[in-house]
Amino acid sequence: MMNGFVAKSPMPGFRLGMGITVTMLSIVVLLPIGALLLHGVNFGLSNTWQVVNTERVWNALFLSFRLAFFAALFNLITGTLLAWVLARYEFPGRRIVDAIVDLPFALPTAVAGIALTALYAPNGLFGQFAKNWLAPIGNFLFSPFGVEFSGRIAYTQWGILIALIFVGLPFVVRTVQPVIGEIEREVEEASATLGATRFYTIRRVILPMLMPAALTGFALSLARAVGEYGSVIFIAGNIPNKTEIAPLLIVIRLEEFNYDAAGAIGIAMLLISFSMLLVINLIQIWSRRRIGHV
Amino acid sequence: MLIEIDEIAKTFGATAALRPVSLQIPSGALVALLGPSGSGKTTLLRILGGLEYPTSGRVKFDGLDATGLTVQERRAGFVFQSYALFRHMTVFENIAYGLRARPRRERPSNAEITRRVTKLLDLIQLPDIGGRFPSQLSGGQRQRVALARAIAIEPRMLLLDEPFGALDARVRKELRQGLREIHDTTGLTTIFVTHDQEEAMELADLVVVMSMGQIEQIGRPQDIRSKPATRFVREFIEV
Amino acid sequence: MSDVLIASRGQPAPKRWHPVTEERRPTRVLLIALSLSLLALLVVAPLGVIFAEALARGTVQAIASLSRPEARSAIWLTLLVAAITVPLNAIFGLAAAWTITKFDFRGKAFLITLIDLPFSVSPVVAGLALVLLFGINTAIGGWLVGMGYPVIFALPGIISASMFVTFPFVARELIPVMIEQGRAEEEAALTLGASGWRVLLTVTLPNVKWALLYGVLLCNARAMGEFGAVAVVSGKIRGQTATMPIMIEMLYNEYMSIAAFSMAAVLALLALVTLVLKTALEWRHSDALATGRKH
Repeated sequence: MMNGFVAKSPMPGFRLGMGITVTMLSIVVLLPIGALLLHGVNFGLSNTWQVVNTERVWNALFLSFRLAFFAALFNLITGTLLAWVLARYEFPGRRIVDAIVDLPFALPTAVAGIALTALYAPNGLFGQFAKNWLAPIGNFLFSPFGVEFSGRIAYTQWGILIALIFVGLPFVVRTVQPVIGEIEREVEEASATLGATRFYTIRRVILPMLMPAALTGFALSLARAVGEYGSVIFIAGNIPNKTEIAPLLIVIRLEEFNYDAAGAIGIAMLLISFSMLLVINLIQIWSRRRIGHV
Repeated sequence: MLIEIDEIAKTFGATAALRPVSLQIPSGALVALLGPSGSGKTTLLRILGGLEYPTSGRVKFDGLDATGLTVQERRAGFVFQSYALFRHMTVFENIAYGLRARPRRERPSNAEITRRVTKLLDLIQLPDIGGRFPSQLSGGQRQRVALARAIAIEPRMLLLDEPFGALDARVRKELRQGLREIHDTTGLTTIFVTHDQEEAMELADLVVVMSMGQIEQIGRPQDIRSKPATRFVREFIEV
Repeated sequence: MSDVLIASRGQPAPKRWHPVTEERRPTRVLLIALSLSLLALLVVAPLGVIFAEALARGTVQAIASLSRPEARSAIWLTLLVAAITVPLNAIFGLAAAWTITKFDFRGKAFLITLIDLPFSVSPVVAGLALVLLFGINTAIGGWLVGMGYPVIFALPGIISASMFVTFPFVARELIPVMIEQGRAEEEAALTLGASGWRVLLTVTLPNVKWALLYGVLLCNARAMGEFGAVAVVSGKIRGQTATMPIMIEMLYNEYMSIAAFSMAAVLALLALVTLVLKTALEWRHSDALATGRKH
């Protein structure tokens, strides 16, 4: 059927459409990415590895990935809850709440960054609460186990976590919500007629049906959080080896005009992104095979 | 189990789906609720299953008031028109679902569950499909799995909503016989909803003809054929 | 007798009976309360803080800070960047969606993956890639500077960075909608003798206008608010290459709280307007949008 590159079609405009698509894609996306990879090739694999394999870079990459993972995990749970409440319950202002979920998508990251910092700084509204209330209570409960909580959120890893939760919040909600709308009521009713409690139905029937979409949202949220910069740098404190995220390290190297080191870290982050993209696709293929569609 | 429906009515907003209807279904009978769409037959079935709550009237099981029983407490094996199989579970897990959902002290052991599911797969004459997912089954196979899943919970009655509705004519005939056999083997009081008069007449011991939320006639198939009680019944069974 | 029954119509369902596809009321109330407090703490509170901080010394101070030359230049630059980026992305989105949905060709799935690529690349890495392509030390960059057209630390670089991060937005909204609408209408128009451009303008565009608007809206919000990628390529020259988000960072680091938050408030208002328009679109034209559909 498809003898050449494109199947015969009466529709006009293939050359023009494809021309614009490929040209713009190449100039805007592929050339820069290619330049980054080429830079890595010229710099050499072992040199790249040498730059990445230092304590500070490892710490930054590990910090970015670890906190992004916890933020995505938090968003997986709360996002599924939010999606359920928005899809299933009627309450006054539901439409407004539904719109508010998208705010982290629409709000520029730098704006979110300074707002979160103002809120969680030691003299901020939530920062004061953490210092005066959470810290004493937490230390009373957990100090016997050797866990100390200073009550500081901004300029610690807690602050980074909160910023990453903020930027990743909408992903799980937006992937899960439409799937909830597609669950047939009869499936839930069937579960009840078979004697299952509502809790059992949710655990064994509804959550497994939402799982592929929720995992996709989780992966998207994770990918976004690993590379996040704007909302984090204000609240992070940016102390090397402690609260310094990988993208910031790239910016620092660039400001030192150390393009080789910046490029090496950039390639490491690019590889992390690509592998997460692969995981997302694998999840979708897996779930499509299993239950017929995503 | 003897089922008594005592002046059951159901309104959705301003529309009356069921005007007060009364009906006694003797234990072990195979009953058809027959009528065109909108006649209230599915609503009546769902009230029996506990999926809807009647606006007024009562339901009694074996003489005891069951109106307020929850779906779970009723233990009615319900087969949905769409079958509502769990598509993320294998056929085996679908059938085992009701047994696994029981509270721990009433739950059979894993070996016992396997034994029962195997027996049910034999009963529906599909012994080898336990490992498949619903998306890999034909329509007729899905219907039988849904039936096996409903019987697995050792129900007190079987309620089926248009059980043959989504099937082509040939499979339909075959499965009618299957339902008859399962009814005779289990001895369960069985009520099925249909809009196909031929199906009702051929399969049921007792046919309840409904229209506009009311019962037009109750009787054995041959009685309804020979002595239709109302003009509606006469015209409906002629088609 | 039926009178008696009608009188008893609406007998309350006993407490233990309730619809099986609903959680019981206390559970529902609890989950709603939990969701609302979560959103209030995580999302609404930061939004509130922006306006509270901006107006901490009154409206006059806030507006005065926005009318200073460097602030005005930042606002102007941001509008300029959006005015160039958004139409270019809209053209790309239409071309890509047309090519992908109206034709069958080899490597289509791969092409879609490439278009989506910017979603999974860190903005900072995007900026870095642009520096390594157009920076003064590179072949292309050096040549362009020699010709008098610097890219990095100049407007073209900022536009390139904004283009990169917003690249998939319009195409992503159009493709699912155009797949769903199929090719029949366009084919019908062709058999009636319409030219390709005529089909595009009179059949395709009217069918996808809401999805296009939706994509443009999201693209615009991101283009005006992009920080990471722009921060790397802009050089942060006050009054020349500082966009609004960059200006916010500089003011904030100089402890100019009122000025920083006033500018942040302008961008937050833009975000709110975007959300309102987006919600209105979803409400009025949900059938013509890709949201709520599975990709």
